[in-house]
Amino acid sequence: MNIMKKQSWYISENEVTDESLFNKRRDFLKLGAAALVSSSLVAEKLAAVETTPRKALSFKKTSFGRGLELNSFDQASTYNNFYEFSLNKKDPAKLAHTLKPSPWEVEVSGEVENPMYIDLQEIMNKYPLEERIYRFRCVEGWSMVVPWIGITLAHILKKAKPTSKAKYVKFITELDPEMFPDQKRGIFGNVPYPYVEGLRMDEAMNDLTFMAVGMYGKVLPNQNGAPIRLVVPWKYGFKSIKSIVSIELVEEEPLNTWKEINSREYGFYANVNPKVDHPRWSQAKERKLGSFFKHKTEMFNGYSEEVASMYKGMDLRKLY
Amino acid sequence: MKKTILALLLLTPLCYLLWSVRSANDPIKYIYTFTGTSAITILMLSLAVSPLKKVVNLMRYRKVLGLFAFFYALLHFINFYVLDAQLDFAFVVKETLDKPFVYLGMISFLILLFMALSSTKKLFRKFSSYHKAVYIVLVLVTIHASMAQKVLSSLEYTYIIVTFMLLGYRVYEKNKRRKIIG
Repeated sequence: MNIMKKQSWYISENEVTDESLFNKRRDFLKLGAAALVSSSLVAEKLAAVETTPRKALSFKKTSFGRGLELNSFDQASTYNNFYEFSLNKKDPAKLAHTLKPSPWEVEVSGEVENPMYIDLQEIMNKYPLEERIYRFRCVEGWSMVVPWIGITLAHILKKAKPTSKAKYVKFITELDPEMFPDQKRGIFGNVPYPYVEGLRMDEAMNDLTFMAVGMYGKVLPNQNGAPIRLVVPWKYGFKSIKSIVSIELVEEEPLNTWKEINSREYGFYANVNPKVDHPRWSQAKERKLGSFFKHKTEMFNGYSEEVASMYKGMDLRKLY
Repeated sequence: MKKTILALLLLTPLCYLLWSVRSANDPIKYIYTFTGTSAITILMLSLAVSPLKKVVNLMRYRKVLGLFAFFYALLHFINFYVLDAQLDFAFVVKETLDKPFVYLGMISFLILLFMALSSTKKLFRKFSSYHKAVYIVLVLVTIHASMAQKVLSSLEYTYIIVTFMLLGYRVYEKNKRRKIIG
């Protein structure tokens, strides 16, 4: 009699997972994760109520970003890199009550014919506010879509009339340790203060470059940079400086805070570019807030048509 | 029995992660931070067992601690491969070879994997001397965790201090032993 001894590794044909089923496993995993995100989380996020009441703004709707899927107010207002409060992105929402967004003035100075102070109330009440839906891409690899309310930076600059010497715009965040607890820590602070950012003149005058005073229909929550912040949608988020008190037109390229901290990793331009990695991590894809899945990052964050011509002939690998 | 309780205790971070990840704004990042922090903390606890031997002798729990450090490192790696890289093996290889931050983590993971596999009684007898490589892991993961941040926070400073203390203890012990022998 021929007895076949089964080896320990032996399994019969009907125990083997069918190949198509094996491949389905991946789909199933994705589906499971998606279900986890979509059902409970989205409902939760949508239902989130605002903890502090915000003043509504009157503004004109525009076609910017039509068709993009918005992130929730809750997501955009509880995930903030605002180092004047904390390194932790959840903290600013809890700590930013110390920021007093009113009264507030922005000084416009430097190489301008018409230096001025702009009262925030004037912007909120008299300027032609509009809503723009922009993609926002952080250098850390996450992204969101936010409906901002404000005016173009060009609108402000035209009032101040830049002279021919004005080649760059330098922005400064308010320096006030009473408002921003981390500014009390001196050299032990998270970053050097005040926070500084800059744009080249043509970038500043670009129609996409926006000064936001509100989001989601109302004034900015403190943790998002109240009462006025820059939004440059084709650049990494750290360019979009918050709680601005000074706009200065200058001749030389200003040294922005992150470049000052680590110029090997953060440059002046900081254009969103999937082909140029951050030295420590890839920039090819991004994680939209609230999602378990990544999607491809677009060149200039999807705004090539509006901005690519400004960088013709520049080596974006060197001028990152 | 006590080992089972310890194991259950070491599973609580995972339970918390599964519950809290639903409301995370940036889930992939959140899983990275959470599993990474858990792995490093448990690894440091396992390495603190021997210096604390004379105060409390927890030597028999060291292996459980070490295995759980590996377990959270494994979850960390799975997050990289499945969610972050979306099972793109070529991307994982490219990033590992390309980015110091990633290859330091990967080397650490491979050493921990080796240690976990050779932790059975039989194999440990043969490979125990190689388990000293855990100190390489300690240094590498401390650098890895620090490199993951844009700016160091108190957590990374704590890791750096603890790493120096644990290494300092090893050096001290080694010198003492040499003196006794010599």
